[in-house]
Amino acid sequence: MAATTESVRADAAEAPLLNKRNMFLGAALYVVFYGWVRWYEGVYGWSAGLDSFAPEFETYWMNFLYIEFVLEVSTAGILWGYIWKSRDRKVMSITPREELRRHMTHWTWLVMYGIAIYYGASYFTEQDGTWHQTIVRDTDFTPSHIIEFYLSYPIYIITGGACFLYAKTRLPTYQQGLHLQYMVAVLGPFMILPNVGLNEWGHTFWFMEELFVAPLHYGFVFFGWAALGVMGVVNTEVIAIAKLLKKDLA
Amino acid sequence: MSASQSAVRSRAEAVKVSRTFDWLILFTLFFVVLGGYHIHYMLTGGDWDFWTDWKDRRLWVTVAPIVSITFPAAVQAVLWWRYRLPFGAVVCILGLLLGEWVNRYLNFWGWTYFPVNFCFPSNLMPGAIVLDVVLMLSGSMTVTAVLGGMAWGLLFYPGNWPIMAPLHIPVEYNGMMMTLADLQGYHYVRTGTPEYIRMVEKGTLRTFGKDVAPVSAFFSAFVSILIYFLWHFFGKWFGGTSFTQSS
Repeated sequence: MAATTESVRADAAEAPLLNKRNMFLGAALYVVFYGWVRWYEGVYGWSAGLDSFAPEFETYWMNFLYIEFVLEVSTAGILWGYIWKSRDRKVMSITPREELRRHMTHWTWLVMYGIAIYYGASYFTEQDGTWHQTIVRDTDFTPSHIIEFYLSYPIYIITGGACFLYAKTRLPTYQQGLHLQYMVAVLGPFMILPNVGLNEWGHTFWFMEELFVAPLHYGFVFFGWAALGVMGVVNTEVIAIAKLLKKDLA
Repeated sequence: MSASQSAVRSRAEAVKVSRTFDWLILFTLFFVVLGGYHIHYMLTGGDWDFWTDWKDRRLWVTVAPIVSITFPAAVQAVLWWRYRLPFGAVVCILGLLLGEWVNRYLNFWGWTYFPVNFCFPSNLMPGAIVLDVVLMLSGSMTVTAVLGGMAWGLLFYPGNWPIMAPLHIPVEYNGMMMTLADLQGYHYVRTGTPEYIRMVEKGTLRTFGKDVAPVSAFFSAFVSILIYFLWHFFGKWFGGTSFTQSS
């Protein structure tokens, strides 16, 4: 009887399998933050972002760039460092229920990755098209680039890195080596950021206009394909979760 | 981990957990595919998709289906061949169209002030429905590539015609003949994309005026078939579950 009571108490105190509050708060963080960023673009893009030699450009855009660099490096260092430092050193001996809970947390991270990829690769990248097809650039660090390349891309890279690290440090499924398609899904989109070097080099030395389908942009396309690696992650997760639930669903 | 222990406490909980994972997976897959597909499409066919004065009878009709059949083929290769879910192409197009419409409203119109009837996206849904239906009915990758891929290319122009027809009406403006779509581009100046960059109606067989769109669509259908084959195998690879072995 005593043991039963203890077990019931343990169940009541147990963390939920999926922490929905964290998931919605995380999603809200991205949406609210990017809503504010879009407001900032709307206000200071036209009023302070057209002439990179103007003092107000330095105030509103270059300072924005410097601040985001510092925050991104700090965030990546702290977040990735924390996930690695707090890794489970006995990951292969966790209970099935704990494993299931961690898969749920892993998926919370992947949902964040989905949101971050959407904003980076879809929302701010196509937005860059209309800005540069409208405004003639006089710098590599245009208002659109400061948001697209140096804010939205690092954010999905940080999020993707966190997903991968979480899986690698806490889930038995990912202990047999490095998951190839997972690495592709995270490292491919990451490579879009270094590819900015090619983009800026090309625009600086020979092609100031904006033709979105120009071969100069094909590096972004190639690395964008890597997002499909998420299908490999889905398949791996489905196999792992089916194993955990199989006999209960049969 | 002990195999004898269960991860869930009841069958009802197992079902609930399974459904929760379904939603998490669908959400993530939808938005990650949306991101990858959108960046691919905007940088391989985007200019023809952005502006009505690029939506001509030759290059838009040729390029858009060829570059857009890629992700649907790849996603079908996983959703159908692993899970028998017959909506790989439609889910890709829904994602792409969501990303595009949000952008055209909030950014093309909301930030740079182009009217939406000048920068609305192309409609790819008819081809996607046919591609999924052919795969579902035939269960064959080859049949889907040949019939579905061909339909993908051929249906693109008719699928967009009701939207584009009014903008292809000829007008005379300052002594020059142009379409209403050209006139939109004339009035809404895009300084970063001067007129000499616009690629429309180029070719040596323009005398065969009325045949331009069908010829382009048929060529596009032919290449779409080939691209479908290629991307089916890309999709299979991306859906793999292989690990690099630790040394």
